[in-house]
Amino acid sequence: MEPIDEERGLIGHRSTAGTSTAVGEGNPTQRTWPTVDGPHGLSEEESLRYARSYFYWGFALLPFLWAVNCCYFWPVLRNSHSSPQIRPYVTRSAIGFSVFSLVLATWSLTFIIGGELLFGPVWNELVMYNLADKWGLTGWT
Amino acid sequence: MADGNPNSNPGVLESLGEEIVRIVAPVSACMLLVVLLVTSLHAGGDGGSAVTSIATIAYSEEASDSFWDKLEGALLNSLVFVVVITVLTFLLVLLFYFRCMRFLKSYMVFSSFVVLGLLGGQIFLFLIARFYVPIDVVTFSLLLLNFSVVGVMAVFLSKVPILVNQGYLVTIGVLVAYWFTLLPEWTTWALLVAMSLYDLAAVLLPGGPLRLLVELAISRDEELPALVYEARPVEQNQPGAGRRLWRERRDTATNSSSNLNGLEAGNPNPQSQEANLVVAEEDAAVSAVTAPLLPPQLERRREEDAEGIGLGSSGAIKLGLGDFIFYSVLVGRAALYDFMTVYACYLAIMAGLAITLLLLAVYRKALPALPVSIALGILFYLLTRYSLEVFMVQCSTNLLMF
Repeated sequence: MEPIDEERGLIGHRSTAGTSTAVGEGNPTQRTWPTVDGPHGLSEEESLRYARSYFYWGFALLPFLWAVNCCYFWPVLRNSHSSPQIRPYVTRSAIGFSVFSLVLATWSLTFIIGGELLFGPVWNELVMYNLADKWGLTGWT
Repeated sequence: MADGNPNSNPGVLESLGEEIVRIVAPVSACMLLVVLLVTSLHAGGDGGSAVTSIATIAYSEEASDSFWDKLEGALLNSLVFVVVITVLTFLLVLLFYFRCMRFLKSYMVFSSFVVLGLLGGQIFLFLIARFYVPIDVVTFSLLLLNFSVVGVMAVFLSKVPILVNQGYLVTIGVLVAYWFTLLPEWTTWALLVAMSLYDLAAVLLPGGPLRLLVELAISRDEELPALVYEARPVEQNQPGAGRRLWRERRDTATNSSSNLNGLEAGNPNPQSQEANLVVAEEDAAVSAVTAPLLPPQLERRREEDAEGIGLGSSGAIKLGLGDFIFYSVLVGRAALYDFMTVYACYLAIMAGLAITLLLLAVYRKALPALPVSIALGILFYLLTRYSLEVFMVQCSTNLLMF
């Protein structure tokens, strides 16, 4: 049994998601892992579930989940021919996160740079440190 | 025997060093962040208005009290705190015993959400107010919501990249440690001493709650819901090497008493399957101890968990988050005096951590990680503050040494 397994590793056999040959020995890049953690991460089936749920939950005002999705499945994102099931979710999460960060950055920078000139006295109502004082959020020390 | 990989003999020194670095790095990062927070926010309840909490319920320190008053008050405070923690830990043992796992887990989720959301939000507000960052309320609340929800998911609920998980654990440690540095000075030091003694007792004494928890977890082969930092396991390239998994060697007579890796029962790691066949030449074979969070107090959050150092089933070193927190509290408190004490205490804590790891390798059972480091840290703090500083100041002012 042992020599046959080793030989398989040396030839360069690429195992698919379902079959998990013992790959502690031989070439460690034999099996492609969909997650960034490599062998410590998830298998293909679990990855699909997680990618899908992170994508859908991201719509609940949680774009960080899209970012987590992109980071977690970075190998899938980079290599355009891997994991045809997971890839749509990851690419859409990447698009979603870029759109969100663009919108937020635009708003935030307008707020910071425009300041009182652009907004008028409303600016002082919206800025965080005034609101914190007003509501006594930092008055616990 | 064909051997297809390039590094034919990494040796135990590289992997051991790598593992230690992977646990020393986050501890150092946590301490660094706490020192930065403390120095930039100029916190520290030394005299004046102190935080009302369980830890100051018996006595709240005034700057004008005499030495004995302060000492007595601090000891009383820390006694109350330790008693509360003991009671709560026993409560946790009971809950675990009666298998109320869902309640425990949902409680954990809730309390970490509170820490990340409320405590984190307040500390961010402090920073914003201190540096006058002109962020608006919409952006702030959106970012805070995302931060806390993803944090809770990363730590408890689902699988995320290992780095994200570790990052959030360090963040929780930083937030709680910063909160502890807001306590009055004498109370903080007395609390550190009291917690080390409690740790020693709870882990080593036969009736200690943490020991009971660990034994229950082993006997049921279940995982404790707790905040434990696990360093990323070192890659095993070589067919001949590997860590001894205590769980797999349960049947061998020599190791039957020291296998506490049932705590990692849920790990589907394929590498662990290979690694268990092999006998490691020499190993830092340590056992894992974890202890869960405590319920939130009436007014303020408090978190106390995971005393001890261990080795997970994939061969990585595990350190409880409570150790992170108390090390950072010590260094944060030292930062409130001067940077010299920070350096001295940091080195002392690292030395204590190394000694603890060494003791674990010798004794091979659950050991508390707090006492040695805290003892050395306090000793070095006092020595630095009362003798080294005088010496250094004299040297500097006489241009002898900078």
